Amino acid sequence: MFLQDLARSDCIVIMGANMAENHPVGFRFVMEARERGAEVIHVDPRFTRTSAAATRHVPVRAGSDLAFLGGLINHVLTHDRWFEPFVRHYTNAAVIVDKAFLDTEDLDGVFSGYDPTTGTYDPATWRLPQLEERDKPRSNPATDPTLQHPRCVFQVLKRHFARYTPDLVAKVCGVPEADFLAVANAICDNSGRDRTTAFAYSVAWTQHTTGTQIIACCAILQLLLGNLGRPGGGIMALRGHATIQGSTDIPTLFNLLPGYLPMPTADSAQATLGGYLAEATPPTGWWSNTPKYMVSLLKAYYGPAASEDDEFGYRHLPRIGGDYSFQRMVPMMLDREIRGLFCMGQNPAVGGQNAKLARRGLATLDWLVVRDAFEIESATFWRDGPEARNGEQDPASVATEVFLLPAALTAEKEGSYTNTQRLVQWHDRAVDPPADTRSEAWFVHELARRVRQLYREEGGPGSEQLAAMTWDYPTLSNGEPDLDAVVREINGYVVSDGAPVSGFTELAADGSTACGCWIYAGMLDRDGVNHARRRVAGGLADLEWGWSWPANRRTLYNRASADPDGRPWSERKAWVWWDETTARWVGHDVPDFPATKPPDYRPALGAGGVDALPGDAPFIMLADGLGQLFASSLKDGPLPTHYEPYESPVENALHPRRRRNPAAIPVDNARNRYDRSSGRESPFPHVLTTYRLTEHHTGGGMTRFVPWLAELQPEGFAEIDPVLARAAGVGNRDWVVIASPRGSITVRALVTGRVKPLTVEGRTVHQVGLPWHFGWGGIARGPVANELTALVEDPNSLIHEGKSATCSVRRASDAEIAAAREWSRHG
Amino acid sequence: MAEPCHASPGTPVGFLTDTTLCIGCKACEVACKQWNQLPADEPLTGRGLSGLSYDNTVDLGAETWRHVSFVEVAAEPSVTHGSPVTAWLMMSDVCKHCVHAGCMEACPTGAIIRTEFDTVFIQPDVCNGCGYCVPACPFGVPQLSDEAHIARKCTLCYDRLRGGLEPACAKACPTDSIRFGPVAELRVEAALRVEQLRAAGQGQAVVYGDTRVGGTGGIGGLNALFVLTAPPETYHLPAKPALPGDRAAGSYATTLVAAAGIAAAALVALGPRR
Amino acid sequence: MTTRHPSPTRPYRDVPVIHRAHWKWLVILYFFLGGIAGAAQFVAGLASLSDRQRNHRTARIARLVSFFAFLPCPLLLVLDLRKPSRFLNMLRIVKFRSPMSIGSWTLALFGGAATASALRETLGSEDRVVPPTWFRAALELGSAAAPALGVVLSGYTGTLLAATAVPVWAKGSRWIGPLFLTSATASATSLVETVLTLGDAPPSDAERVGHLEGICSVAEVALLAGWLRSVAAYDRPLLRGEAAWPFRHLTVGAGLALPLALRAFSPRLPRPARTAATVLGTGLTLTGGLALRYALVVAGAESADDPEATFRFTSGSATSHPPEAKLASATRSAP
Repeated sequence: MFLQDLARSDCIVIMGANMAENHPVGFRFVMEARERGAEVIHVDPRFTRTSAAATRHVPVRAGSDLAFLGGLINHVLTHDRWFEPFVRHYTNAAVIVDKAFLDTEDLDGVFSGYDPTTGTYDPATWRLPQLEERDKPRSNPATDPTLQHPRCVFQVLKRHFARYTPDLVAKVCGVPEADFLAVANAICDNSGRDRTTAFAYSVAWTQHTTGTQIIACCAILQLLLGNLGRPGGGIMALRGHATIQGSTDIPTLFNLLPGYLPMPTADSAQATLGGYLAEATPPTGWWSNTPKYMVSLLKAYYGPAASEDDEFGYRHLPRIGGDYSFQRMVPMMLDREIRGLFCMGQNPAVGGQNAKLARRGLATLDWLVVRDAFEIESATFWRDGPEARNGEQDPASVATEVFLLPAALTAEKEGSYTNTQRLVQWHDRAVDPPADTRSEAWFVHELARRVRQLYREEGGPGSEQLAAMTWDYPTLSNGEPDLDAVVREINGYVVSDGAPVSGFTELAADGSTACGCWIYAGMLDRDGVNHARRRVAGGLADLEWGWSWPANRRTLYNRASADPDGRPWSERKAWVWWDETTARWVGHDVPDFPATKPPDYRPALGAGGVDALPGDAPFIMLADGLGQLFASSLKDGPLPTHYEPYESPVENALHPRRRRNPAAIPVDNARNRYDRSSGRESPFPHVLTTYRLTEHHTGGGMTRFVPWLAELQPEGFAEIDPVLARAAGVGNRDWVVIASPRGSITVRALVTGRVKPLTVEGRTVHQVGLPWHFGWGGIARGPVANELTALVEDPNSLIHEGKSATCSVRRASDAEIAAAREWSRHG
Repeated sequence: MAEPCHASPGTPVGFLTDTTLCIGCKACEVACKQWNQLPADEPLTGRGLSGLSYDNTVDLGAETWRHVSFVEVAAEPSVTHGSPVTAWLMMSDVCKHCVHAGCMEACPTGAIIRTEFDTVFIQPDVCNGCGYCVPACPFGVPQLSDEAHIARKCTLCYDRLRGGLEPACAKACPTDSIRFGPVAELRVEAALRVEQLRAAGQGQAVVYGDTRVGGTGGIGGLNALFVLTAPPETYHLPAKPALPGDRAAGSYATTLVAAAGIAAAALVALGPRR
Repeated sequence: MTTRHPSPTRPYRDVPVIHRAHWKWLVILYFFLGGIAGAAQFVAGLASLSDRQRNHRTARIARLVSFFAFLPCPLLLVLDLRKPSRFLNMLRIVKFRSPMSIGSWTLALFGGAATASALRETLGSEDRVVPPTWFRAALELGSAAAPALGVVLSGYTGTLLAATAVPVWAKGSRWIGPLFLTSATASATSLVETVLTLGDAPPSDAERVGHLEGICSVAEVALLAGWLRSVAAYDRPLLRGEAAWPFRHLTVGAGLALPLALRAFSPRLPRPARTAATVLGTGLTLTGGLALRYALVVAGAESADDPEATFRFTSGSATSHPPEAKLASATRSAP
C-alpha cells in the first residue's frame, strides 16, 4: 500500500515501528485516518510519540511480536472472523501439504527437514504441488476447495496456531488478555467487505532472528482478513531510511541484482546463463519473464558487444559463494579476507552491531574510504575511539590508511528518492556543493573510469570483466556524470535506436532491449520525459505525483480489491474492478493485472507464464497467483513460529526445548559472546531494545553534527522505568552502567513511566530502551549503544537482531561518571 | 488538509496550534531556527540532557521562538508504583501575538509594533535592550539575547509574509497541527474543533486564546490560538493572564496620593507654625 | 540557565512560565539613587512651599543632594543598555501606558531640571557672574518643574515593577509606588538632615527635616505592612528566598526599626552623641532604602521563576487549581 492510502484505513495497527517519530511526514495520513474515526493501535515496548497519537497503546515485550500476531491469527481462525471468499479464492488455503511434512507442533519446535548439525532446513517436505499439478484429477488430490482436508494449508495453519491463545500471549508478551482482545476485536471489526485494516511496520520487525517470519505472520493475518491489495488495507513496510527502497531495488545488497533478480552463485548449475535462468525462472506467474529481464540487464551491463553467442556476457558477472552481509564482513575484515572498504552513507564504528568488533575490523583493513558530510566516527575511530582512549589500541599501531572524502548533501546534487511506497521522486540540485565536495555519482563515475584505466594499462585479475563493462555516461561541464543517461539505462531502451521503452512488457530476451532495472521500466516515456519529476496531486491515488514502480501502480496486487467476479467488494472500498463494457480492468489505480484478462478466465491446459494464472488469482508475482498462507520459500520454516530472541530473559513458553530460532545464524567470534542464560538469576536479567529518535538519523552522521538538531537531543540516554530506577538506586538524569556480554556503557538514565515493567511468565521483566545514534564525534554525543548488541542473523534477510537482547543495569561509580562526562565533552 | 494561506495587509493573521494533532517532531523548532538563522542553544557547552521528557530546549527564549513541550501524564503521580504514562501531551508554544500585547505596551522605544498583518514585531534596529518587555509579557515570550542584548521573539515570519509565504513553522508541520491563516477564520476553526473534541468525550477541550481563556484580563484575545485538551497549566500556560499595563494607572494614582500625604506632612513639619 | 533535575511525574515544575527581568545591581542602584534624587527635589519644593524663608538652607541642601544623587543615574542606565546612544531610543516616542517611557522622559527632563535648580542655587549664592536673562528664566523654569518631576522619578520605579506579569510585583501594584516614594523621601530627608547637622545651619533646620523623615519612616512601615498583606500569597521569595535576609535585617531592622528607635532616643542624648546618632540614622536609612530595592528586584526574579506563583496569580478565580491535580484527569484519546 502507499502512505496516502493509510488515510482510508478503518483501523491501523502500528507494530515494530515508531512511525510518528521516524516517519513523521507519512504519519500525517495516520492522523487523517484517526481524525476520520479510525482506530490507531500502537503495539510497542515503549510509550512513544506514536503511542501518544494513537487511540490505543499496548505495551509488549520486545521480541515477542510473533506470539502476539500468532495470537491474532488464532483468534481470527477460532472465532471464524476470516474473510471467507477472499481466503477461498485468493490464498493457497486449499492446497494440500505433503504427507511427509511435520509441523513444529509435531516435532517440538522444529519443522521436518531440520539438520541440527548445520542448523539449516531441507525444505523438500514443505514444497507445495506446482500449479500444473493441481488441476489434474488424481486419486491423491492436490487441493481441497472445502478446506476440510486435514492436510490442506488452512487446517495445517489452524493446528499450527491453535496454542497461540490469549493466555499464551499474556504469558509471552506481557500483554493482559483484555488488551489483546481489544486489539483482536478492533482488527476483526474493521476488516471485511466494507472495512479494511492496515498494518505498518519497520525495522523493529525485521531486526530479529525471526524477523522475516514476523512479517510473514502479518501477511497471513492480513490474507485471512482480506486486507491485501485493497484501499486502506495492507502491510505498510516503512523503510529504515530515505531511499533505502531505491537501494534494494537497484541493490547495494550482495545477493541481488537490480530488480530482485537473484545474484548468480558459484554453484556449477549456474555456470551458464541457461543454467541460471533455469533455476531463477518459475514456469508460471510473472517471474516466468525472468529471461527478458536478465538478458536486458546483461545488455545494459555489457553493451553492444554482448551477444547471444557469448551468453550476453553472463560469464563476466561475479558469483557469490556465501554470506557477504555486513555481519559477515566484520569477521572477514578481521581474517584479512577483506582488506579495503568503501564506507558511503554508513557509520559502522557507531552503527555496526557489536561496534567494538566492527571497529577492530576497520582497524585491520589496509585502507578505508569514508565519504561523508562530516568527520564521522568511522573516520576517527583509530584516533578518538574508545580503544584509543582507554589505551587498548595505540593509534600508531593501526595500519589502516583512512581517506576522508567530503560528500555532497541532497540539495547539492540531483538524483532521485525511491521512498517507502516505491514512489520515485526526482530532485534537482539547489546549490553547488562547497569546495571539493562531490556527489556519489561523481565519485562512482570517476572511480570506475580511473580503475578501468588502471586495469587497461596494468592488467591484472578481473581486468577482462572491467573492460567488458559499458561505462559511457557523458560527463557534464561541472564534471558530474549525466544522470539522464543513467536514468535512460535504468529505464531501458531499444538497442537498435536507443529509444526508451515505455514499460517492462516491451523487454525481450533476445538482446534487442537493454534495461538496468526492469521494475523501473516506464519511468521515462518514449520521448525520454522523466515521470519522477511530476508533482501533480489529485485523484485517489495521486497517479501524477512522481512515478511508482511497477508501471506507476500505487497498490500492489490491487486485483484483490475486487471480488472473484471482478466487482468491488463494496462501494466504499472500490479501487480496481472489471469493466464489462470495455472488457478491461479499470479503477482509481493502475490495475496490477493483465488489463484484459477477464475475471472468469480459466487457463488452458498446459498454459505457461502469466497465462497459466486464472482471472481470479491476484498475486501475479507468485507462481500460482495465490497469497501464501503456507510459504515454502523461507529458510526457517513454511509457517511462522514463536521463538525467543537469541538473547532473552525467559524460556520459550511454546517450545521449552527450542528457545531460539533453530535456523538463526550466529557469528562465532570470541568477542561476540552471547548471553545464554535466562531467568531470575541471569547476570543480564533485563530486555534491551535499541531504537532511533526523530531528532537524529541512524549513526548520526547527518544530524549529530548539526547544531539545530543536536540541541534537540544533545546527549545519549537510556530510558528505564521508575521501578527499575529505584532498584538500581538512580534518579532521573543519573548515570547508569548498562552491560551485555559484549561490553558496557555509561549513560544517563531518562526515568520515565513511558517504559513499563511487564509481567512475563509470572515475573516482572524490565525493558531498557537505548537510542543508538550517539558516538564520540559531533555536537550531540554519547556512548555507542551498539557496544552492547550482537552479531547474529535472521536466516532469510541476514539482518541482525538489534531490537531485543539482554542487559544488566546498575548505578555508575564516580570514576565511571567522570569518564563518561569526559567522553561527552570532547572527541 | 489546508492549503497554504497567503497573508494580505490589513487582515489579521495568526496561528492555530492544535495540540491534538501534534506528534512532537519539533520540525517547527528547526524550521524556525533555520529560516530565522537563530543559533542553537549553547551547542557544545549546553545543559545537555534536560531530563524533561524529550524536551531539551525547555523554554521559549531569545533564540528559540517555537518550543515544543512534552508533558507525560501518569495515571497516578506516584513514582514507587511505576506510574505508567497514559498520555503524552505535546504542545508547540510560540509568541501569542496578543490583540493587546503587554510587551508592546511596555516598550519605551516603539521598537515593538503591530505590523500590517496585525502581528507583534520587534524592530531589531530600534530596540535598545531595556528589557522591560521581558517581565511585561504574561506568557514569558520575549527575552534579551546574550549577544546583541536586544529583545527577540517570534516575528510570525514577517519577511515570509511579505513574500507571500506562510511562516516556516506552519510550513514544516507534517500533521497540520500548526495552522496559519486569518485569525477570524482560525477562531471559527478552533471553536469547531473544540466542539468536535468535546462531543468525542474530551470534556476539557478548550480554545486557548479567546477572551475567556488565555486572552483574558484586557489582552483581548490572542492571534496565536491553541486547542488544548487539559487545563492550560498542564501545558505550562497561564489560564487567565492579565495585561500588565492595566495596573499602571492605579499605581500612579496611589503614588500621587502618597505624594500628597508627604506634602501634607511636610507642611506640618516644615511649615511656619514650627 | 541552570541545570534542572525534573521529577518524571511533575514535569516543568521547575521551569518558569514567565521570564524574569534581567535587572541586577545597575538597576537596583538606579532605583535607589534616582529615588533619592527625585525625592530630594520634592522635599526642596515642599520646603520652599512651606516656608521659603526659613527653609532656604534645607531647600538648597536638598537641591544639591538631588543633583549629586542624580549624576550617576544616566551612567547606570547607559551601562545597563550597553551603548550610550541606545538611551536616545527612549526619546523617540512618548507612551503613557509604558512606565519605562514615562520614567525615561522624566529622567531626561528631571536631569535638566535638577541641574538647573542646582545651578540656580550655586549662582544665587555667588553673585559674581551675572548670567543672561533667558538663562535665568530657564533655571527658574527648571527649578519650578523639578519637584513635580521628582515625585514621578521617585515613584515611577514602583509602577515599573507593578506593571509587569511578575506576581509579587503585580499583586501589590498599588503599594509599591507609594512605598518607593515614601522610602526615597525618607532617605532624601535623612541625608539632608545629616548635611544640615554637620554644616553650620541652625539645629532647628535639621530638627524640622528630621521630623519629616520620622513621619516618612512611620508611613513607610505602614505601607510595607500593607504591601506585605496584599502580596501574602506570593511573599515566599521575600520571606524565604535570597532577598529574605536583606529584607528582614537591612530593610526592616536596620533601615526602619533602628533609625526610628534612634530618633526616639536621640533627644535624650548629649549633643555630640546626637549628631553621631543622626549620621548613623542616615546611614541606616540609606542602607534600608537600598536593601528595599534590592529585595524587591531579587524577589521579583524569584517570583517570576516560580510557575506555581504565576499559575496562582493567573488562575482568575478563587478556586485556583493546583495544576498537577488536574494532570491526572487529562487524557488524550482521539475523537
